[in-house]
Amino acid sequence: MNHQTRVYNDVFEMLPSEENPSPIVRINRLNPSPEFQLYAKLEWLNPFGSVKDRAAWAMLRELEEKGEVGNGRGLVEPTSGNTGISLAAMAKARGYHMRAVVPNKIPLEKKVLLKIAGAELDVVNDALCPAPGLGDGSINIAKSHAKAQAKKYAMPNQYENEQNVLAHVRTTGPEIWRQTEGKVTHLFVSLGTCGTVSGTSKFLKGKNPDIKVVAVQPTEGHDVPGLRNVSQLGVSRLFDSSLVDDILEVEFRLAYTRALELCQEEGLLAGPSSGLIYEGAREIILRDKKGFGVMIFPDNIFKYTSNMMKHIPGLATGNEA
Amino acid sequence: MANYANPEVLVSTDWVKDNLDKPGIKLVEIDVDTKAYDAGHIPGAVGFNWQTQLQDQVRRDIIGKEAFEKLVGGAGVSPKDTVILYGDNNNWFAAYGFWLFKIYGHKDVRLMNGGRVKWLNEKDKPLTTDPPKIAPTQYTVTETHLELRAMLPEVMDISKTAKANLVDVRSPDEFSGKVIAPPGMTETAQRGGHIPGAKSVPWSTAVQQDGTFKSADELQAIYFQQKGVDRKKPTVAYCRIGERSSHTWFVLKYLLGLDNVKNYDGSWTEYGNVVAAPIEKG
Repeated sequence: MNHQTRVYNDVFEMLPSEENPSPIVRINRLNPSPEFQLYAKLEWLNPFGSVKDRAAWAMLRELEEKGEVGNGRGLVEPTSGNTGISLAAMAKARGYHMRAVVPNKIPLEKKVLLKIAGAELDVVNDALCPAPGLGDGSINIAKSHAKAQAKKYAMPNQYENEQNVLAHVRTTGPEIWRQTEGKVTHLFVSLGTCGTVSGTSKFLKGKNPDIKVVAVQPTEGHDVPGLRNVSQLGVSRLFDSSLVDDILEVEFRLAYTRALELCQEEGLLAGPSSGLIYEGAREIILRDKKGFGVMIFPDNIFKYTSNMMKHIPGLATGNEA
Repeated sequence: MANYANPEVLVSTDWVKDNLDKPGIKLVEIDVDTKAYDAGHIPGAVGFNWQTQLQDQVRRDIIGKEAFEKLVGGAGVSPKDTVILYGDNNNWFAAYGFWLFKIYGHKDVRLMNGGRVKWLNEKDKPLTTDPPKIAPTQYTVTETHLELRAMLPEVMDISKTAKANLVDVRSPDEFSGKVIAPPGMTETAQRGGHIPGAKSVPWSTAVQQDGTFKSADELQAIYFQQKGVDRKKPTVAYCRIGERSSHTWFVLKYLLGLDNVKNYDGSWTEYGNVVAAPIEKG
């Protein structure tokens, strides 16, 4: 492979690494302080379209190395979309079947994309009545498939799989350190499985313990696919509060309006979770004034047009002749 | 430390594992998510679909006596069998099934404490997709206990007279009227709020983090001391469609031993649709 000419033998060679990092791009018009440099790391430029390429690849490679996939054994995974899309595309390209268990509330685009990527789809209704200790419906159904049909399914389980953290220790962290020439002072991330925050923070704080890691979460009862409010974090075993300096709660509708601003003011076609992270970064920049921040933008807006129509007045009208 | 009033109605996951394949013990899974059983179930368990098998398919009602006989006989259950019910969402519909079995007079019904998720997360507990081997029986219902069920006129009367406890087990947002039903639910009502005089005691206050029931002492403190359920009065529990309230009905009647407890299965999807019925909000 040649990252200079970008000629590759297969799609897997395109996966991000320190030698082939996803780009970071400076925020110009939307940066509230000239003394704070703010960059966005565009994870949608990974080959399968999101930050989840990293965890999916690390989890799949480990299963392959241990001989846990192949010979009719494929994957089952609970996902809000991105991990499933990455895993399904990777799995199918390597000859394994994949079953994705998704909450009903994820956008239609993601459900269809999962099927296009080759996943068999299980849609479960997750949002019932608050219940202690239940875990999440899609995780339970995926676990049921894996337990009842162990010969057919291996379950990477991104919510508990250490590879989800190690992927970012090996790639995202070193990439940011190198791309910023060690100048990074703030890392802005969202919380889902918490693999990104835990792994990237672990690496960067190992290089410079003073780096501030800011996790941005949507308000409770939110509608931002893939993210979790702290009240929902119980499902992830990968959250380590010692690796996070600030947890900001942001009104979830701002995820959509800020994403629209990023699209229209910066030309960055960022999705709602990126919008939420940008709002968190903006608040911290107004507080801290000086610094060098990197926001990890998980994916772009293309999978969220139906959600955008729901939350941005005007997008849903005037679309017919 | 107090014991449950009827400890025999609960079995542990370990007990179930030790008694798999024992004659006279029948396992039945009933889930909110009707696809969960097919994803994997306890070996030998039959699955009942609450939407198509526990409800009359023409009028809004529980299944009648003949349909119940056909259902449980078809599942290989005899009147003398010990029926162990379990399911997802902390046994919501398993508790509803328990209530139905009791209405139709089945003597020995028990819940698996912690439900499906506890079994799923214990490494030594097997799951399978193999269908159970069933030898159908001729099940005959010999007694019915409709006194376990509250209907609308009785609930309206209690609301007016306060002669019984009314326990609303839905989430605080449903009780206050902020939402009419949890998101994504198809069964709903015209209005939000609660039945006047009802006390809000969400069903989940009865369970621990691992999904098993809290101790008798804790349950007594919650229902009698903190929430003011008067143990000298009859009690009616309700929710949205009667499954979460079956869970609380089970707690009050079997774990705390109250004599007269009814499940109002019409619940908010009946009451919240009744023209001119008084409603409280907030």
